[in-house]
Amino acid sequence: MIRVEQASRYYDDVCAVDNVSFSIGSGEIVGFLGPNGAGKSTLLKMLCTYLPASSGTLEVAGHDVASEPLAVREKIGYLTEHNALFETMRVSRLLRFMGRARGLRGEYLDQRIAWVTDAMTLGTVTGRRVSECSKGFRQRIGLACSLIHDPPVLLLDEPTHGLDPLQVVAFRDFIRELAPGRAILFSSHILAEVAEISSRLLVLQEGRLCLDETVASLKARADKENNSLEGLVIERVQASAAERSTA
Amino acid sequence: MKQTRPGRLSGVGIVCGRELAAFFDSAIAYVYLISALVLLGSLFMNEFFLTGRLDMTPFFDSLAPLSIFLLPAVTMRLWAEDRKTRTFELWMTLPLSPGQIVLGKYLAALSLYSIFLLGTTPIVIMLVSLGSPDLGLILSGYLGAFALGMLFLAFGSLLSSLTGDQIVAFVASVVVGFLFLFTGHPRVVAVLDGMAPQLGPGSWLTENVAALPHYESFVRGLVELSSVVWFAGLTAVFLWLNTIVVTRVRS
Repeated sequence: MIRVEQASRYYDDVCAVDNVSFSIGSGEIVGFLGPNGAGKSTLLKMLCTYLPASSGTLEVAGHDVASEPLAVREKIGYLTEHNALFETMRVSRLLRFMGRARGLRGEYLDQRIAWVTDAMTLGTVTGRRVSECSKGFRQRIGLACSLIHDPPVLLLDEPTHGLDPLQVVAFRDFIRELAPGRAILFSSHILAEVAEISSRLLVLQEGRLCLDETVASLKARADKENNSLEGLVIERVQASAAERSTA
Repeated sequence: MKQTRPGRLSGVGIVCGRELAAFFDSAIAYVYLISALVLLGSLFMNEFFLTGRLDMTPFFDSLAPLSIFLLPAVTMRLWAEDRKTRTFELWMTLPLSPGQIVLGKYLAALSLYSIFLLGTTPIVIMLVSLGSPDLGLILSGYLGAFALGMLFLAFGSLLSSLTGDQIVAFVASVVVGFLFLFTGHPRVVAVLDGMAPQLGPGSWLTENVAALPHYESFVRGLVELSSVVWFAGLTAVFLWLNTIVVTRVRS
């Protein structure tokens, strides 16, 4: 459902994403890890068609990101890094607008609004303006907007940012429920959280993909080497940084 | 019914509806409409009581210079706010083309301006109730006001897309509006022509750039095809440039 082939992205002379390749199939939940500035958000922005790649190929749900951006946008639900929302809109109107902008109409639109409102427990804030909602609610409103059209591909940039621990647990369960029939790629700084939710880890370091491994395999390796999951990932990131500096 | 992309026109309509609602969600629309109507209404009534003529020409004469400030107040937030609050990214990841979004936002601004023009119809009703004003002249003046609004809103939207700062967008639009209007003013033309008599820059600007001669032909009751094409053509060019800027901003 997601295929990235030797994708690179430069900001002037700075390489934000360097020759990255991976693919994600239907039903997979993949966690995107990496330190600040590693290129996670840039790659998500490239996949959602917001940023063009400097080179390489990106495909989402069988559509090329560069040549069929509108077809790609139809298939994705995207939660932006800063979860920017239209502040003065009331939540119910925002959800209706996002649904209509996705081509939903009539009874189906009403059903979808009811579903995301229930799934994200937004019932108490639908009459409020977005600017009047707490950070946790805003994050859930952003998720509701990205799910309104029942997309087969979900791209979530730090989806648990601003959620309290209970909401994080609820989010994990929710994402697992959503996974069948969908490809979900989400970024986070927190390894424990990513390992808990996802079936596979992608770790970026200075724009390069330095680890692409299933969580089960990583856990088995950690047990074998008497190391922690975190220790293994840090070792790989450090080794990648060292390889880069010697190169 | 499950769909994932609105049609071309319905997409424009959805964007227009959201943007128009956004004007009224905040105080912008109310402050704009009330202050513009009070200001222009007062100017007209003052002139009306002094001359006692059943004529809206003084209204349209005051509208042009005031548009330099009134219309950028509408367009300054169109894109600059989205760029500042990062909702620009939200727009650009919806299954709508940049052209649909540009047109939708522009039509929302034009709708707000049209509401303002509709708000001035009590002046027409008053003139009709007092006598027999030249309704053709009034209609022509309104067409001119609409055409001038189309142009000012189009370059205002373009300039708003170039910055994330609403004040910068406002000031830039005022400056461009000032150039569009006052390059056609007889005094400005005389001064510019006097500076380089062989080249005649003032006359060249009046013939090719200035909006005032085209607007004034409407106000004097002449709906010339050349003026209609001039306003419509420039508006289309600015909206096209706006679409290019919005597409390029991402990269």
